[in-house]
Amino acid sequence: MKRCAAVAERSSPRVPLIAGALALLVYALAFASPYGLRVLTVAGVYALATFGFQIVFGLGGALSLAQGAFCGVGAYVTGILGSRYGLGFEATFPLSMLVPLLLALPVGLAVLRLESHYFALATLGIAQVLHLLAVNLPDLTGGSNGLAGVPAVVLFGWVVPRGLPMAGLVWGLVALGGLIGWRLARGRLGRSLTMLRDDPLAAGTLGLDVGRLRLTAFGISALFAGAAGALAVHTQRVVSPEVLEFPVMVSILTIAIVGGRGRMAGAVLGAVLLLHLPEWFRFLERGYLVVYGVALLATVVLAPDGLTGLLDRIAVCLFGRRQRTPVETREPPLPLDLPDGMTVEGLRKSFGGVLAVDDVSLDLRPGTITGLIGPNGSGKSTVINLLSGLERPDAGRVQLGGREVTGARADRLARAGLARSFQAAALPAGAGVLEAVAAARLAFDPDAKTAEAHAGWALGRLGIGELAAHSCDGLPAALRRRVELARALVRRPVVLLLDEPAAGLTDGEKADLAALLRDLAGEGMAILLVEHDMGFLLPLAGRVLCLDRGRVIYDGPAGGVRHDPVVAAAYLGRVASA
Amino acid sequence: MRRVLSLLIGLLTASSCLSPAARADDTLSFPVLVPLTGFLSLEGTSQRNGAVLALKQTPAGVAIASEVVDTGTSPEAAVTALERVAGSGTVGAVAASMLGTQMLAMLPLAQELKLPLVTVSGTASITEQGNPWVFRFFPGDAVTKAAHARYVVEELGKRQPAVIYQTTAYGQSGKAHLDAAFKALGVTPVFEEGVDPAAKDLLPVLTKALAANPDVLVLHLHSGPTALLLRQAASSGVTLPIVAGSAMHQPSTAALLEPAELKGVCAETAASPISGDTPEVKAFTDAYHAAFGKEPDAFALGQYDGMTMVLEAVKAGARTPDAIRKALSSETFKGLAMTYKSDGKGNMAHSAVIVCYDGASRAPKLVKRYDAPALAAK
Repeated sequence: MKRCAAVAERSSPRVPLIAGALALLVYALAFASPYGLRVLTVAGVYALATFGFQIVFGLGGALSLAQGAFCGVGAYVTGILGSRYGLGFEATFPLSMLVPLLLALPVGLAVLRLESHYFALATLGIAQVLHLLAVNLPDLTGGSNGLAGVPAVVLFGWVVPRGLPMAGLVWGLVALGGLIGWRLARGRLGRSLTMLRDDPLAAGTLGLDVGRLRLTAFGISALFAGAAGALAVHTQRVVSPEVLEFPVMVSILTIAIVGGRGRMAGAVLGAVLLLHLPEWFRFLERGYLVVYGVALLATVVLAPDGLTGLLDRIAVCLFGRRQRTPVETREPPLPLDLPDGMTVEGLRKSFGGVLAVDDVSLDLRPGTITGLIGPNGSGKSTVINLLSGLERPDAGRVQLGGREVTGARADRLARAGLARSFQAAALPAGAGVLEAVAAARLAFDPDAKTAEAHAGWALGRLGIGELAAHSCDGLPAALRRRVELARALVRRPVVLLLDEPAAGLTDGEKADLAALLRDLAGEGMAILLVEHDMGFLLPLAGRVLCLDRGRVIYDGPAGGVRHDPVVAAAYLGRVASA
Repeated sequence: MRRVLSLLIGLLTASSCLSPAARADDTLSFPVLVPLTGFLSLEGTSQRNGAVLALKQTPAGVAIASEVVDTGTSPEAAVTALERVAGSGTVGAVAASMLGTQMLAMLPLAQELKLPLVTVSGTASITEQGNPWVFRFFPGDAVTKAAHARYVVEELGKRQPAVIYQTTAYGQSGKAHLDAAFKALGVTPVFEEGVDPAAKDLLPVLTKALAANPDVLVLHLHSGPTALLLRQAASSGVTLPIVAGSAMHQPSTAALLEPAELKGVCAETAASPISGDTPEVKAFTDAYHAAFGKEPDAFALGQYDGMTMVLEAVKAGARTPDAIRKALSSETFKGLAMTYKSDGKGNMAHSAVIVCYDGASRAPKLVKRYDAPALAAK
C-alpha cells in the first residue's frame, strides 16, 4: 500500500468514478424512495455549490467564507422573483446566478487583495452583512420568517414534480456544472490558479495577473453558488435567513475537504457522503451528531487527501499507474525585438530605517552577461526583487526595451519580457515537472496543451526532457535548478535575472550551465547573474557590479574585480595589500 | 458505451426483482419531527417529550408506532425528515416542529402527501397559507401578544412600555403582534429594539431601554436571552415591572435564575403545568417528571394535548390521515391546558394565561386567564 501511495500522485481514478456514477444512477432509478431521492437532490445542490468553492478555494487557495452567502443570495433571488412576481425557472435561474456574480465582483475587488486569514474574515463579514439584511428587510425578504410559497420548478410550462424528475434536473445540472468545472480546472485557468495557490510570489513573476485570476475565480464561485441556491429554494419551497447562515458554509467547506480539495469529483463524492451520513444514523435521535462527527473525523484521518485522493491510491494499486501520453514539443515564438535591454538609474529602496539599495544604476544590454556580486546582505536579491516587480523602488528609474516600467507589477514585467529565478528553486509541491514548466507559459499561450508543448521544448533544450512525467518533489538540487531555468527559458525572455543559479551544483553541472548561459546570451538575451562563486561567474560575465550595504562599490570589467581594494575590503573587512 | 448500457439494464432488471413488496401493515405511525439540536433544543425537547408521553396512551385495538427525528433548525432538514417518515408505513399525523420556518417549509409537502401536521409553533403565518393540513395547539401570537399587551395596560396600568424582542422569526412575529395590540389599546411603546439571540451581553440594550423612561419592560425573547436580561436587570437594580414572553414560563428558563432575580417578573404563556391549577394538570406534571426527570412547560403540554386529540380521533374510528384531519378540523377537544377548536385555519388554541413569580420559588402563580372571545384587543 505504501508503494502504491508513493506513485499514486499522478494517476486518475476514472474507473472507480465511472462505476460510482453508474451505481448512483441505478440507485436513483430503481432503489431510491422519495426520501432517498430527496437526500440525493439536496446532495446535488451542495455538490453544485461546492464546485464553485473548489475553484476559488481548492484551486485558487482563497478561503472564501462567502460561498454559503452567495448561495443564499441566489436562493433569495429565486424566492422573491418566484413567489412575489411569479417568474418561471427560465428567468429566475439565470438571474439567481447573475446577482451573486454582480455582488461578488465589487466585493472581490475590495477584499481579494487581502491575504489568507484576513480575506477569510472579510468574506465572513460579507456573509454576516447579507444575513442581517435578510433579517432586517422584511418587506423584501420576509424577515426572519422568510418567504413561503416558492413555486416548484416550471420549465417552459411543465411543472417539474418532486422525486425523480426534480432529482434528474438537479443532477443534470450537476453533471453540466461538474463538466464545466472539470474543464476549467484542467485548463489554463485551473492551472494558473493552482500556481497562484502554491506560490503566489512566483506566479506573478511568471506573468500571471494574480488580482484578475482571483477575481475570476471569486466570480465563478459566485455563479455556481447562485445556481445551487436557486435549486435549493425550489427543493424546499421556502427561503429564510437560515440559508445565509454559517452552517451552510461549513457544510460546503467540509464537502470540499472530505471529497478532495480542488477536485470536481471530490465535490460530488463529498456531498453524497456528507448528506447521507447523518441520515444513516437518524435513529439515534440527537446522538447521530456524535456518530456523524466520529465518522467525519475517521474519513479525514484515513483519507487526508480526500476521498478522491484515496480513490487515486486504490486505483493505482488495482490498475497500475496511468502512462502519460508523450507530449508534442514545440518551440515557443521568439521574443519581441527589444534592442535596448534593461536600463536602471538611481534605484533606491529602504525597509524601515535600513537602506537596502542606494543609488544603483546598471545597464543590461542584449547579448551580454552582467555579474552582480557582494557580501551577504549587500542588497543583491533586493535589486533582483526590485527589477522583477516583487518590490517597488522608493526612487530611481527602470526602463525595459526603452519603455518606462518603474514600479510595474511583476506580472506586467514578465509579460514585457523579463524572467527571473529564485535563490531556492521555487517549484510547486506535488506538481509534475512538465506542468511546473508549462505554468510559465500560461500567461502567453492560448491553452494548457500549447503551454505543455512549449514546456516540452524547454525541457529538451536543457537536456531533461525525460523528467517531464516526474514530480517536482524529491528532485535533486541540480535538477530542480534546471527545471527552474527551463521555466525561465520557456518564456523566451529578453532579460533574464538569475539569483545564484550555480549554488549546490557540481563542477560538471556548472560547466553545463555556463555553456547554456553563453548560448542564451549569444541568442541576444540580456542576463544578470547574481553569484558568489567567482570561479563560475568571472569567466562568464563581461561586466561585474559589486554591492556593499546597498551601494555600488565596483562597476567594471570582470577581470578587474579581483584586484579592487574596495571590493576586497567589503568581503574581507580590510583593505587588501597590493 | 454498449457495455455500460448493458450493465445499467442488468442492474435495473436485478433491482426490480429485489425491490421489497409492499407491506401490508395496519400499524398507524405518528412520527415526531422536532428540533432536538440547535438554539431551539430546549423547547424542541419539551415538544418531543409531550408528544412521546401522549403516544403512550395507545387506543385499544390500534397498533401505534412512533419515530423521533431531529430536525435541527434548518428548513431543509425538516422537509427531508418529513419525506423520510412519510415513506415508512401508514402515517396518521405528524408531531411537527415548533420552528416557524421549518413549518413553512414542510407545509407544501404535507399538503402534497396529505399528512396532518400537529404543532405548537407560535409563528402566525403558518396558519395563513390556506393549508388545511396544519393544526396549531398553542395560541398564536395574535392571541398571546394580545393577552401580553392587555395585562400590561389593563392590569398593571402601564402606558409607556419598552419592548425588547428577538431578531428571529419568533421575535419579529411577536413584535408585530405586540405593536398591533398596543396600538389597539391606545399605547405607543417608548422604546423598541431587536437583539440577536447570540448576543452575550444585553446590558447595552437594557441601558438604552431605561434611558427612554419606560414604566414597564416588555420582553419577547428566547429562553437564554430572557434569563440573561433578567439577571442583568436584577444586578443593575432595575425595579420596573417586567412582563416577559412565553419563554420565561419554561422551568428550564427559571432554572437559569435565582428565585430572587425573578421577583415581580410575569410572563404570558399558553399554560403553566408546574403551577398545577387542576388535578389533571398535576397528574400530567407528575407523569412527565417520572418519564423524563424534568418539569414540563406549555410546549410539552400543548403538544401532549394535540397528540391526545389525534389519538381521540383514532379511538373514534379515524384510521387515515384524512379522517384524522377532518376530526381535528371539526371536533372540540377539552385538553389539559384549555379547550381546543379549530377556527377554520388550523388555529386550535385560543386562550392564554399570565403567570408571575413571587421571588421565593421558581414555580410561578397563574394570575390571569384570557379566553378566546375577549382576546381581540380593544
